[in-house]
Amino acid sequence: MADTFHTQIVSILPKLRVQALALTRNRAQAEDLVQDAVCNALNARDSFIPGTNFAAWMHRILRNRFISDLRKQRATSDIDDVPGELLSSKADHEDRLAVKDLGYALARLPDDQREALVMVVLHGMSYQELAESTGCAVGTAKSRVFRARRQLEAWMTGELPEDDGLRQRASALRNEVDRRKMMGAATRSNGLRG
Amino acid sequence: MSARDEKSVSAKKSRKRGDDAFEIWLRRGLHQLFDDVAKEPVPEELLKIIEEDRDS
Repeated sequence: MADTFHTQIVSILPKLRVQALALTRNRAQAEDLVQDAVCNALNARDSFIPGTNFAAWMHRILRNRFISDLRKQRATSDIDDVPGELLSSKADHEDRLAVKDLGYALARLPDDQREALVMVVLHGMSYQELAESTGCAVGTAKSRVFRARRQLEAWMTGELPEDDGLRQRASALRNEVDRRKMMGAATRSNGLRG
Repeated sequence: MSARDEKSVSAKKSRKRGDDAFEIWLRRGLHQLFDDVAKEPVPEELLKIIEEDRDS
């Protein structure tokens, strides 16, 4: 049983990382969160009932750890934590702006909706599995995914007035990131000359 | 089927096509944003923690 338990942990790590990034929106914090959740799982091994849904148990541990950390210190986000930058993408250049916009829009969603959307759309979880993994009712899980999808669609297609504000902020943040990159490049270039 | 019904069915089909297109775009976008993270190698430190616990 012990060997299976550890093998299952290693197998689920990629999905835990995606869940952690969806929750924290920050790669470094996501790595820490996964590690902390794994440690919690190892310590709580006896509470796992063999034959039950291991993935749901693990996702729930990570989620509880995130909530517990959040309570301890309110998450802060500055310009360097812009999801469009940190959720780096290798999209073709014609898609890059739209993907960045999606990154910014995702960041605006409530944590639980972003997590639910990613777990259903990317991991292919059913609403039942999502409910088990996040410790909520199936109806709540369904509603979170539905609201996230609708909100994103509204923002991305400009159906709601908030869209203008979001795009302006997203554009301002992108400009700031580009400006910093340019300044960084100029500084390095001057340093080389000096 | 009346002209009104036909119009309603046509509008529903059009909305469904829009939903499907958005769903495809969303899935693709999410993969582009998250796939790199999922594929990154597991940090040695984390593997070590798991292996040490396995051996204990």
